[in-house]
Amino acid sequence: MKGETIIFYMLAAMTLVSALLAVSSRQLFRSAVYLLFSLIGIAGIYFWLHYEFVAAVQIVVYAGGIAVLIIFSIFLTQKSGEELPKQNSTRLMFSALAALAGFGLTILQVFNYTFIGTKDAAVDATVMAIGTRMLGMGKEGFALPFEVVSMLLLAAMIGCIVIAMRSKPETT
Amino acid sequence: MWSLSKITDIIHSWLTETFNPTWTLIIEMVIVGVGVIGLFAVLGLILVIMERKVSAYMQIRLGPNRVGPKGMMQSMADTVKLLVKEGMTPDGADKFLFNFAPFIAMIVAMLLMAPIAFAKDFQIWDINIGVLYITAISSLNVIAILMAGWSSNNKYSLLGAMRSGAQIVSYELSAGLAILVIVVLTGSLQISDIVAAQANGWWIFKGWLPAWIAFLIFMIAVTAETNRAPFDLSEAESELTGGFHTEYSGMKFALFFLAEYINVFIVCGIGATLFLGGWMPFHIGNWEGFNHVMDYIPSSIWFFGKTFFLIFVIMWFRWTFPRLRIDQLLNLEWKYLLPIGMVNILLVTVIAILKWHF
Amino acid sequence: MFLKEYISDVAGALKSLFIGMKRTGYYFTHHKEIITEQYPDNRATLVLPERFRGEVVMTHNENNEHRCTGCTACELACPNGTIKIVTKFDINAEGKKKKAVDKFVYHLELCTMCNLCIQACPTDAIKMAQTFEHSVYDRSLLTKVLNKPDSKLQEGVE
Repeated sequence: MKGETIIFYMLAAMTLVSALLAVSSRQLFRSAVYLLFSLIGIAGIYFWLHYEFVAAVQIVVYAGGIAVLIIFSIFLTQKSGEELPKQNSTRLMFSALAALAGFGLTILQVFNYTFIGTKDAAVDATVMAIGTRMLGMGKEGFALPFEVVSMLLLAAMIGCIVIAMRSKPETT
Repeated sequence: MWSLSKITDIIHSWLTETFNPTWTLIIEMVIVGVGVIGLFAVLGLILVIMERKVSAYMQIRLGPNRVGPKGMMQSMADTVKLLVKEGMTPDGADKFLFNFAPFIAMIVAMLLMAPIAFAKDFQIWDINIGVLYITAISSLNVIAILMAGWSSNNKYSLLGAMRSGAQIVSYELSAGLAILVIVVLTGSLQISDIVAAQANGWWIFKGWLPAWIAFLIFMIAVTAETNRAPFDLSEAESELTGGFHTEYSGMKFALFFLAEYINVFIVCGIGATLFLGGWMPFHIGNWEGFNHVMDYIPSSIWFFGKTFFLIFVIMWFRWTFPRLRIDQLLNLEWKYLLPIGMVNILLVTVIAILKWHF
Repeated sequence: MFLKEYISDVAGALKSLFIGMKRTGYYFTHHKEIITEQYPDNRATLVLPERFRGEVVMTHNENNEHRCTGCTACELACPNGTIKIVTKFDINAEGKKKKAVDKFVYHLELCTMCNLCIQACPTDAIKMAQTFEHSVYDRSLLTKVLNKPDSKLQEGVE
């Protein structure tokens, strides 16, 4: 067994175990923290694959942004120190069934798909390459989707401002 | 001439001759790990005594002056005291998270060490996303603080953690925009590229006004991000008795304390790399003779000199300015730093496209 | 105009920050005037500010005479009952009884050094001393009698 395989299994184990803990923990804040570790584990797998940019974005967006947002909303809304009530068993059973079905489907797909090994060099994932592809207008460029997404984000930002903006009290 | 990169080369070639590649890698990782931990310990000792001496000098006091010559061994004595002190865990605390949080703070600080160029060709990991990696990892810092604040089961801790979270999340934006200015000028995120681009002059001199504005914004934002006065709302002693580390004692407190100073060192190192040329000696355009003289000073001295200068500036901030209120803090970020930073990045993009910078 | 105000706001803020940093920078570079007192080491040369209040004492002249008439103005002025004056009746030269101070009892442990007794005293008999090393092992030691044994009222003080 090579060193990188060991590292992969360690990262995978960390991701899976903390994901399991996130759904099974009875304390909301702990669940959020375990979810965070799960997300960091995924970022670790990206690093392991040498997709550094994706890994860094994963950390910025999910671990640094969304997890913090979740934790904040827990702080502000829930009685975060108390244990959640136990779920009733039928609900538990159905959710377990749903999870198992999803797992089975994924496994089935993985085993049925024939992965073809390639001798080509790995995809060039440096920031430079990503940037030129992202704004490229040629065959492999993503200029249009990029601009559409940025328009969407701009619209979201303006929407946030409009929602958050307090209308001025009418002066009489 | 001896240099750090030469020493690492010698060690590397000796290891590859003696062992197989896997063992070489493992041994090198161990050496790097031990080196980083050693650097942490030394930096912690130096920065704590520096902070206390600087504060004393700015307040016309003497500062620690009993242990060792001129009190220089004071932080050593403090470390021994913290090591032998009992690390208490409060009864109502969430034990697992409470004991885990200081280590997260420490691990984050260690991860941040990786892409910093300490000297010429002396860098742990020259990752191609360099500064993005730094901003990404440093955003994890807030998790450690939130964990510590929540698991302490203390309202002051929780308040401190919430404040700190809001503060770090918002000031990250301005720090990111200031970093982007240099990224636009260099055209690369890689630390080695950024340093190499400053061979004929540092960005703060070459980048005209935008670089200065970016430097100012960066210094303000990183002061806020490392939770230091005048932005130390998260541990405001007079209101929150110590913020998120109120309940910590002994070595667990020391880890938080150390992580704070290491973070200060790291952000100052990044600031020095981006704006003041990192390990690059002071060069002026084509003055061959002058540049040659400057090259005689070792690159590691350049790097540490600039970094410690910036650390001194941040300490200067701390011992001059009064603490901001939370609304003033958020006003400063969202109404001043962020709009100015955005206009600034527009300006620098124009400069970079027209190639007005040197 | 909004933009002009905004810019002048930022410039003013930067200027004031710079002024503050200049001050501390001046102190940092001119490290001569030190306000730190290295107290137990410099006990011999320690100079306290003039207005420092350590404890209440009664002044006596060389003939062991004080100026306290026992009027209890200080006792009345004291906000927390620090002073207790025990009076006696002296027989003076003309054979008349006259009120005089027997014991001027001063509870240092209750005193807040507020200076009201000194201001109340009509004859300037008491004053604030600058001694400050008051720690003792027993609380009873802090209850002091300020007039010295066998001391008399100074002639001419009414």
